[in-house]
Amino acid sequence: MEHFLHELWIARWALAQGLLLTVEISAASILCGSLIGLLAGIGLTYGKWPLRLPIRAAVDSIRGIPVLVLILASFYLLTFAGINLTAVESGLFALSIFCGAHMGEIIRGALQSIPVTQIDAGRAIGLTFPKILIYVLIPQAMRQIMPVWVNTGAELVKASTLLSVIGTGELLLRTQEIVGRNFMTLEFYALCGFLYFLINSVIERLGKFASRRFALQ
Amino acid sequence: MTLLAIRGLTKNFGPVEILKGVDLEVNKGEVVSIIGASGSGKTTLLRCVNLLEDFNGGEIVLDGVAIGYTGAGSARRRLGERELARQRAMTGMVFQSFNLFPHLTALGNVMLGLTKVRHMAKREAQQLAMSWLARVGLDDRATHLPSQLSGGQQQRVAIARALAMDPKLVLLDEITSALDPELVGEVLNTIKLLAKEGTTMLIVTHEMRFARDVAHRTIFMDGGLIAEQGPSAKLFRNPKNARLKEFLKRANM
Repeated sequence: MEHFLHELWIARWALAQGLLLTVEISAASILCGSLIGLLAGIGLTYGKWPLRLPIRAAVDSIRGIPVLVLILASFYLLTFAGINLTAVESGLFALSIFCGAHMGEIIRGALQSIPVTQIDAGRAIGLTFPKILIYVLIPQAMRQIMPVWVNTGAELVKASTLLSVIGTGELLLRTQEIVGRNFMTLEFYALCGFLYFLINSVIERLGKFASRRFALQ
Repeated sequence: MTLLAIRGLTKNFGPVEILKGVDLEVNKGEVVSIIGASGSGKTTLLRCVNLLEDFNGGEIVLDGVAIGYTGAGSARRRLGERELARQRAMTGMVFQSFNLFPHLTALGNVMLGLTKVRHMAKREAQQLAMSWLARVGLDDRATHLPSQLSGGQQQRVAIARALAMDPKLVLLDEITSALDPELVGEVLNTIKLLAKEGTTMLIVTHEMRFARDVAHRTIFMDGGLIAEQGPSAKLFRNPKNARLKEFLKRANM
């Protein structure tokens, strides 16, 4: 135990950096992904076919590709398109479009479950469609989206471990490096697992709090 | 003074012709009810006036302005969303299924249009919304969500929501059809009150006695056309059109 604490003290900054990067990448990709998903979901639900078709194609292909392949593709393939991203940037890109595609589908489902008569009611009092979206449709969709959104967030934190393969210094890669130095495999992987668990339980708490806010009394 | 003039209005849903050339004028302060069998085009007519449906031919003139379209012939174009929204705000509509916003309280429902369309300050909007809720007898239910209100109460909130926008014309689309019989009275009494105050209303209804008692004039629609119209008392007492006679007999009038 004393030995572990000693090694932990040595590795404290590396672990903290890894943890921070994991949280940062996860938070940023949840944010970007949700924004992409919101636009995609609105386009899929209310767009005319010239808009809907390309979004549908993009969402379906991204959802059909394993996240690891998405990550590798954005790291190695975007270079050919003249876009040079660092490991962190390409990881962020891959996780954002992954999250965006899933959220797009979730938001489409939520919006489609709202009766069209709600749009009529909004129009009848003179609201334009963008205002109907903001004040009538999205608040109602939020109640359905919240629980699934929390799930997607937790999935994303777990998926961020895959970024270790392209050399992003997130929590898993840092742990691997530490274990490589001190050979305390069991202890440090257990700690790593616990930290992921901690992040996701915080997300779950936040989700429950937010769900209560959007719920009808 | 003519407030609403509909001339030669036609509307198709695909190959089906729903409105086949409707002509109708409504004066300011007049209450006009529209009766007729299901599928005769009554609701579609109302939805066209509120620009919730596009229409294929003819024109709708509200307070001197042709609404919904610009240009004529091949240059005829539907107006943009912003302009349509502005014109829709001139008419108020109450729906058969209430269509209250379920995530907002009764007060919130009435306030939304005031703050987001009429751009009133929150405090001012709240006062006006409360006064309308009081007029439909629901000021003590202001903080309730629609799900906590009875059908009749929900419909009265919907009436307050439409009227608070100060529309020139109020469209009522079978507003008692989804209500339990014992709740119909409270809603109809609210409408009677509005009629007495000189609100211009176009009312699609299946309540024949209500149409007869409240509307100055009644229109009978049949197969996408106005088959007969006249002062309500006269039309119900002495119908000429054979289909109208049959329709009224079935409605026990």
